Amino acid sequence: MTEEIVLTVASETAEQARFSLVSIDLSTIVFTLINTLIIVFLYFKFLHKPVCQMLDKRAETVNKDMDDANKAKEEAQAVKAEYEQRLQSSKEEAEKILTEANRRASQREEEIIAQANEEAARVKMQAEQAIEREKKRAVNEIKEEISDMVVMAAGKVAQKEISASDNEEIINSVLAQIGEEN
Amino acid sequence: MPTECLRTMSEFQVQGPLQSFSFDLFGLHIIVSESIVVQWLVMLILGVLFFVLGRNLSVRTRSRRQMLAELIVTFFKKAVNDTMGEQYSKFTAYIGGLFFFSCLSSLMGLLGLRAPTADLSVVAAWGLTTFVLVTRNKFKTGGVKGYLKSFIEPMPFMLPFNIISEPANPVSQTLRHFANILGGTVISGLIYFSLGHIANGFATIGIPAIASLYFDLFSAVIQAYIFVTLTMTYIAGGDCSPSDD
Repeated sequence: MTEEIVLTVASETAEQARFSLVSIDLSTIVFTLINTLIIVFLYFKFLHKPVCQMLDKRAETVNKDMDDANKAKEEAQAVKAEYEQRLQSSKEEAEKILTEANRRASQREEEIIAQANEEAARVKMQAEQAIEREKKRAVNEIKEEISDMVVMAAGKVAQKEISASDNEEIINSVLAQIGEEN
Repeated sequence: MPTECLRTMSEFQVQGPLQSFSFDLFGLHIIVSESIVVQWLVMLILGVLFFVLGRNLSVRTRSRRQMLAELIVTFFKKAVNDTMGEQYSKFTAYIGGLFFFSCLSSLMGLLGLRAPTADLSVVAAWGLTTFVLVTRNKFKTGGVKGYLKSFIEPMPFMLPFNIISEPANPVSQTLRHFANILGGTVISGLIYFSLGHIANGFATIGIPAIASLYFDLFSAVIQAYIFVTLTMTYIAGGDCSPSDD
């Protein structure tokens, strides 16, 4: 085991003691085992454990975020459905209001037309009455004028032979007769 | 390095690790090898590296440092889960730590230090660990009966071969790692040495770096990866739980 295997072209004496090239040394093995144990511990303590913990935490966070997102999505869909329903009902409401308004408007239209017709009929009647009155008045005026003219004419004919009052009486009675005939 | 030194260098030799210092403990004379001293340096570097990588990790903001840390940890987690299975996830720290220890030990050759992995004793310690873990796993999964039964699987006449293969796996694993790194060191050294005799030593500029890229850098990573992969396979292969029958 301690036999030295050295690749040499020419031998040279080493100043310091060396282990042979291929040898097994117990103390080196023991030291190496201890060192390996320490390295493994360092790897576990400083790198493996913190990273694994962080990864677990990340997975937890991601799962939580996804759950939250799903929940939010469901809520949003519920709200959307509610709003759609509300929109639908308000549309129906609007339709109803519109129909009602149309109905009222047409009713009112009819009322207004009827009123207008009535008003027109009334105005027409009043106008006819007024015309009738005017006509009567005009006839009376004409009668008076004619009587005056006749009196004037008769006066000129009679040349103050008869008093004006007597003549008027006669003429009026004549005119009344004429009027009744008309 | 001065050219004269290279020109006068008429020999090339690869030697074992230095006996750095020694002390007496409980009546034992303990010699501390050069490999162990370099290992302490490696431990220091790795301790700082792990500490820097693994601190201030946050769930949301991902810095490059944190991404690297995540990449490393998830790589070894996945490797252990894929090669060994979920029930062996507690080996992840051993596999990850061993990979970095082996890899950086081999890379120490680039700093002009003697790579600890070019010392058979160092790699033998890891091979021994593999053997212990395999045996422990056999007892744990199959009990004493399962352990003994594993030697006559699949046929009783396989007994001698199974007895041979039991230590052969860790030994071959150990020798592969050791010899690859040592071989890389020898070849790199030889290239450097022989180029020192060409063009007044100026040939040593550039060319050894390219060779070293493979023999030191690539080989260091690949051998560390092979070693931990074999370790995983052997430990998981030691599973002799009755349910497998």
